Amino acid sequence: MKSIWRAREFSTVAILVAEVLFFTWFLWPEAGRSHPFMNVGNVLLIFKYSSIYGIAAIGAAIVIISGGVDLSPGAVIALTTVVVGYLFVEVGWPLWMCAGAGLLVGVGAGLAASWLVVRVGLPPFIATLGVMGIWRGTAFIITEARFYDLSAKLPRDWHVMGASIDWLGPAVMIALAIVFQILMTQYQWGRSVSAVGGNEMAALFSGIRVGTIKTSAYVVSGVLAAASGVVLAVVQGQGKADLASGYELDIIASAVVGGASLVGGRGSVAGAVLGALIFGVLRNALPQIHGATFYDRFIVGAVVIVIVVMDQLLTKRAS
Amino acid sequence: MARLEFQDVHRSFGAVRALTGVSFAVEAGEAHAIVGENGAGKSTLLKILAGITRPDRGEVRLGGATLTHASPRDALAAGIGMVFQERLAFPNLSVAANVFAGREMTRAGGRLDDAAMRAKTRDLLADLHVNVSPDRLLEHVSAANAQLVQIARALAFDCRVLVLDEPTTSLTDAEVDHLFRILNRLKARGVTIVFVSHRLPEVFRLCDRITVLRDGGFVGTYETATTTQDAVVRAMVGREPPARLGRGAIAIDAPPVLSVRSLARAPWFRDITLEVRPGEVVGIFGLVGAGRTELLETIFGVARPDRGEVIVAGRPVTLRSARDAIRAGLALVPEDRQRFGLHFNLSIADNIALTRAARGGLGRIDRRGEAARAASLVAALAIKTPSIARAPDTLSGGNQQKTVAAKCLAVEPQVLLLDEPTKGVDVGAKFEIHKLIRERAAAGMACLVVSSDLPEVLALTDRILVMREGVLRGELRAETATEDDVMQLAAHQSETAAEVVA
Repeated sequence: MKSIWRAREFSTVAILVAEVLFFTWFLWPEAGRSHPFMNVGNVLLIFKYSSIYGIAAIGAAIVIISGGVDLSPGAVIALTTVVVGYLFVEVGWPLWMCAGAGLLVGVGAGLAASWLVVRVGLPPFIATLGVMGIWRGTAFIITEARFYDLSAKLPRDWHVMGASIDWLGPAVMIALAIVFQILMTQYQWGRSVSAVGGNEMAALFSGIRVGTIKTSAYVVSGVLAAASGVVLAVVQGQGKADLASGYELDIIASAVVGGASLVGGRGSVAGAVLGALIFGVLRNALPQIHGATFYDRFIVGAVVIVIVVMDQLLTKRAS
Repeated sequence: MARLEFQDVHRSFGAVRALTGVSFAVEAGEAHAIVGENGAGKSTLLKILAGITRPDRGEVRLGGATLTHASPRDALAAGIGMVFQERLAFPNLSVAANVFAGREMTRAGGRLDDAAMRAKTRDLLADLHVNVSPDRLLEHVSAANAQLVQIARALAFDCRVLVLDEPTTSLTDAEVDHLFRILNRLKARGVTIVFVSHRLPEVFRLCDRITVLRDGGFVGTYETATTTQDAVVRAMVGREPPARLGRGAIAIDAPPVLSVRSLARAPWFRDITLEVRPGEVVGIFGLVGAGRTELLETIFGVARPDRGEVIVAGRPVTLRSARDAIRAGLALVPEDRQRFGLHFNLSIADNIALTRAARGGLGRIDRRGEAARAASLVAALAIKTPSIARAPDTLSGGNQQKTVAAKCLAVEPQVLLLDEPTKGVDVGAKFEIHKLIRERAAAGMACLVVSSDLPEVLALTDRILVMREGVLRGELRAETATEDDVMQLAAHQSETAAEVVA
């Protein structure tokens, strides 16, 4: 019997817990002062920022498991904020319709990438690199160096069902992580994605619709990146072409740290979200350490390598 | 002299004890075969010789000196040349570049000396009677010649021991003859030959002595002149060789469940018409390149025919994919199980379930039902594994092949297509796979088996269709046919063609 959780995800949880404990200890305040890291406000902040690339990392993990790679989520996030901002601010659509239109951007982005990969036969890296440039460019063409200020038309100190709007990202991330974790481990669709990523020819000979499965993976990735974009537009109150710059690497790194193998066939949705949180904690805590401000990129890069090497050593020992 | 000695060699991989104290010697200048079932420890022994792994205990000595090499490069330097089963070569580089890969000849200053390497390669190939330009890209060289290029590589470094791992699997008879002539010449020059093969007739033809391994241990070394194939098989499996299988009764007048009419796909085959009835095992025999694999793939829908039709259970079907074929009641056990058959990132249970599940939708997986079905197939096919939750990479070749068969049987097909079902599997697993095919046929399944193993075709099938150069040349009843009858049909044309060329 295979459960929803696998051993690999526990080691990602362990890394996250160890990291949190370390910073809690390291940043322990002098008597009488509140803890700068371990407090409700800061935890919400970590969740809020992690969720933007955490949501997209779910889709990126699925594409990686299917044997591909998606470099376009950062650009899709930016384009979505612009589309949502334009429709909300300039056209005056209600917010829910703007959000729906934003998600359609993701569907389109996923279909375009999968068309290039499945029909045209481009390598996923090249296809999504090209598409990334096109979407980012489209966002700049639409905005022409302006940006859409949604916050002016959104309620101040907005609460939904008693919770601050800041919780929107974390809530969406956790809900989607649960849904896709179940889809990937308990449903035929998820197993087909793993089968295609593990051995495409064998999948074809087993009667799996390889093209359809790959297309579904890119569409899911596009839609989830768009969902990140909608959340960002609402929470940050901006539609801007240069948002989420460089996020594609954080997104892929989250998936990889969470156990995804770029060879395909291996990885975990829950792991990708945990990976996003691991980076979120680092990004949040490092600047609080005196003198470590400029080391944050360096340390994040080193952490990716260390975690993946540890993972490989553990897998080698297990086999 | 280059006497090669194995002394109490042990090697374990985790809990698997691959070699448990193997000691024997290969005399200088002899041709020595190492045989054994899959999992007997041959591959590990070769990996140690090649410097890919090292023994946990014990040692290997060449000409009295202990080998301590830690990489294939060191092995070559010590005088051991390896010719591997898989094409461990560079298809994107020229023949000359392949011969000298990693140890290129250079001029002063480190610039590659292409002219010298090309000239040396030309000499080596001429010596081996291989008519291939040193400048040709290896991907444009036939499998047989690519193998000879590997031998040339070994010779370029003056190797004293030449190790060949299953070198004849993808060669035609004429190519095998050529290879053996070359090996005999090298032997006459004093090169020691270590030959690993499943094909006992070839072992007996080439080698002076035969060492048998079983379950990681040494069983014995036999003089070829004074032993028999049956005795070697008994030593390999540790029991009497199985008797020939009985055939079931076939309802001759039952309507065929698979009919193929005038099927053609250029340039592979044309005008193929055949029928398989329920309960019948039909063999397609032919030499490599006769178009048999392409025919099976076309029937199975993964390639489109130019013309002709496929009729399953009386209904003409248009198959555009493997999925269509599986839904129509066909299943295919492909020739290359690692590439086309198995997912090494999924469990054995998932592998077995995949084909059946792909027939359905994308909905929730019925883990309980799948586990029960997988467990019963694993038991029925005697697949040796500690758990169906493991990935199939821990299985031996024969058990991997049975897992692919289980995957096909899980869809309960009306027609089972099998492409070289026992290629690279050991004697015991081969017998079990034959038994399995006969049992399913007795239960009413129609089986179409492609094989280049002539004794297998004669022992396993009811009817033999002989294919040559993309055309069916004749049909024989397996019970009355002899190997000569079949070879006459399979090779006749090529021989006359060869004469014309000569």
